[in-house]
Amino acid sequence: MAARTRLPLLFSKNLPPFKNQKLAHTEAAVKEPTYPPIVPSLTAKSKSARGRQVEDHVKKICASPVDEKLSLITRIQRKKFVVYPQTFARNADRWYQHFTKTAYIPGLPERFALDPEKRTGVEKEESSLPAGAQTTVPGVEIDAFADIRSLVTRMILQEHWHMKKRKPFLYREQEQMVGPFLRNLVTGLTYSLAKYNPLLPLSSLDIDPQVNFYWRRGQRIIPKGHRRGRQEPTRFQIDDQPHSQIRITQQLPQFTSLEASYAAEVPEVAFAPNLMPLFRRQYDNNIFTGAKLPDPACYGHTQFHLVPDRYHRDRMARQQQSDQVEVFLRANGLASLFAWTGAQAMYQGFWNHEDVTRPFVSQAVITDGQFFSFFCYQLNTVALSVETDANNPRKNLLWGTESLRLYESVQDGAVVGLNDDVVKLLVQFLVNQP
Amino acid sequence: MPFISVYVSIYLLVPLRSRGRLSTHGGAMASHLQARRHFAVSRCLTAKVPPERKPRERVEIPGLEMVTYGERMHYVPGLSKPVHPQWERDYKDPRHYRSPPAHEMPLYKEKPCYVYNQRTSALEGVRQALWLTKTKLICGLPPQLLSLAESPANQIPDQDERVQNAIKHARFWDTTEERPGKEKYSNTLLLNLLHLCATLQSSHPAIGRRILAEKYSLAATWKRGEDLFQIRGQNGLLQNCMDPLPEVSGKQEVGDTADHVLETFYPVSPTIDLQKVNVYKEMNCSGFRGDYPYPHAHTLYFLEGADPRCKLRPEQFRAKMFMFTFGNALVRAHNLYGPQRVLDRPVTVQAVGTNGRIFQFMVFQLNTTDLSGDDGIKNQVWLDEDVELYDFAKVRPLIKKKQVKVPAGLAGYKPETFSKFLALYLHGAV
Repeated sequence: MAARTRLPLLFSKNLPPFKNQKLAHTEAAVKEPTYPPIVPSLTAKSKSARGRQVEDHVKKICASPVDEKLSLITRIQRKKFVVYPQTFARNADRWYQHFTKTAYIPGLPERFALDPEKRTGVEKEESSLPAGAQTTVPGVEIDAFADIRSLVTRMILQEHWHMKKRKPFLYREQEQMVGPFLRNLVTGLTYSLAKYNPLLPLSSLDIDPQVNFYWRRGQRIIPKGHRRGRQEPTRFQIDDQPHSQIRITQQLPQFTSLEASYAAEVPEVAFAPNLMPLFRRQYDNNIFTGAKLPDPACYGHTQFHLVPDRYHRDRMARQQQSDQVEVFLRANGLASLFAWTGAQAMYQGFWNHEDVTRPFVSQAVITDGQFFSFFCYQLNTVALSVETDANNPRKNLLWGTESLRLYESVQDGAVVGLNDDVVKLLVQFLVNQP
Repeated sequence: MPFISVYVSIYLLVPLRSRGRLSTHGGAMASHLQARRHFAVSRCLTAKVPPERKPRERVEIPGLEMVTYGERMHYVPGLSKPVHPQWERDYKDPRHYRSPPAHEMPLYKEKPCYVYNQRTSALEGVRQALWLTKTKLICGLPPQLLSLAESPANQIPDQDERVQNAIKHARFWDTTEERPGKEKYSNTLLLNLLHLCATLQSSHPAIGRRILAEKYSLAATWKRGEDLFQIRGQNGLLQNCMDPLPEVSGKQEVGDTADHVLETFYPVSPTIDLQKVNVYKEMNCSGFRGDYPYPHAHTLYFLEGADPRCKLRPEQFRAKMFMFTFGNALVRAHNLYGPQRVLDRPVTVQAVGTNGRIFQFMVFQLNTTDLSGDDGIKNQVWLDEDVELYDFAKVRPLIKKKQVKVPAGLAGYKPETFSKFLALYLHGAV
């Protein structure tokens, strides 16, 4: 006999479990707010109104297309620090690292490690050669490398031996002797290696281009004037003129992941930037990679720089400033590459409040004719101003070498002591492709 | 009023200082180069400087000794001005060097030489250049080059689009300002086009046997009739090659040029506008010494805006291109075969000149270095002049009466011009 049991009170709660599940996937009825959201005023003379104006401006910039974004960011001219990549200030590389949030890693990334044991299938049959034989860049045959080597020799000889030139004018030696050699070197190597790197035939080679970048980092309290006591962001501008650069249509692959840069260390400089010495001026804020926005070759590959004529390493050695020799080159590589990669990122629409989603990578070679230094830069963040940098663990990375000698001297129509490693590094830099 | 005299003397100093050249004759002529002071302070103060007064002529009567105020060490009215011997510094100071007059220089020669340099603007243009170099002009490029231009194997992938991008980069995208200047864009355009051509090195490996040279000094000498001519100067971008260019016209055509009569332009002398010098050195130098690994000249590239001080009209620009091409060919023929003879293997050199939009193409073949007479085998030049690459490249559209006449951006692109440029580049490498 089915006794009519009393259903427990608890069960009743679970009894209509399925009844509510029908409603579980529907959302609660959206209730229209009867009043608009309460936001600070837009035009009041208050800090919250100023905050709202700034927010609206940021939203407006985020919503506009790239060329309007650039013009909105660089519209207002204010006094800014002009950062010169080639500077004689002492310990300039630490200062520049602080301004651009870059960590320096000595040496080059693993991609450029010259390992004789690392061979690809092309040279497997060469491994039977004795250990004293020439090694070469993976992917480039030994014959082609020998051709490149003799091409470099001929270029050095053309400028220093074969061409009838007067003695170089005072402080114009770089322009008259080394400039043409570097131009021939860049063009010759680019075209010889065009068959190994499919990006190079589609690339754009600029001679004497302009590279500009404008950013904000840090803030200071205005000491005097009607705005005294308020915070003002510190603005920087780099105007650089490399000797030549190669721009490509696709982006170079990253050297390390974004997360790997969290552990890197960036030196902090507690002093104000004008103590470096660095001077402020007010003029047009430019962000420029070397060509305007519509150019299809908007990513950078390699830049080549010449040191200025007043930079003499032997004079620095006499004045016991040999360490500053490398500091100068590092600062130059850092500032130039930061400006270039930053401008490339801006051209893609990333800016201070919209940080980069993929790292931007470029390379540079700095030379004075005999000594070559190689630099690789990875831009991981472009959010450097005070509001966006507070919780930003990303840092930019710079890899660099010391200066390596390409050749010892030119005597009697022959180049003495050509260094193969430097030629190999040049070839590897130019062959770098995604 | 002393300040007025100072003001006037400064006014006098400024225009005179611009005469930078020192006169070759010291002493007497130097006085007119010093600042001419205007000492009048009370009357006759005019803004215009009064003309120079000639110094009194000194009369030398033989046998009569002039009494001078030299010993008295001050001016005495009535006595004559002492004449001192010319003082020479006993050490060499490069800042105060007076060059000797022309007839005392070691390289002085009685016979004058007519020099064509990079700033010469020849009156008769190409006709004068043809007469000076004993050349026959053929309009249009040779047929081999035209067929080279049309063959599809010698074309860059996506050629039209890439050339248009190159033009847009040079004309619009190369600067932070609105548009780059003419000098800058013509230079950038030439370099971009050369870059496009040179990327064919992977399919045409012979391009790797070339190198570019700039700022080299050319010197070539030749005799024409009674006169001596020279070409000197730094002219343009030169592309040197390890292998010589193949000859463009065969022996039959070369022999036919002997019947051609050179065009004269009487009463204008062919030496007009050339710099006549008496101090010269007869030299033939290509700008390179030693056993240069790239001894043969391939192409010369000229830019109209390269020298801001010297603006040449199109005809004169073509004449300049032609003369320097001839000079390069002549020097190399001298070095290979020696002077004054008919060449068995003609020397070919090409030239391209541009002003950023309009191109001039030239192929020159040197058949003979025997240029003294007007008859005999002549040299040949194929000239394609005023070839436009595009019609307009405007940043802002041209609007007349509310109608767009010329749109913004690149308009009227002509692909044949770049094919000719590429054909000249690939000549010898195919």
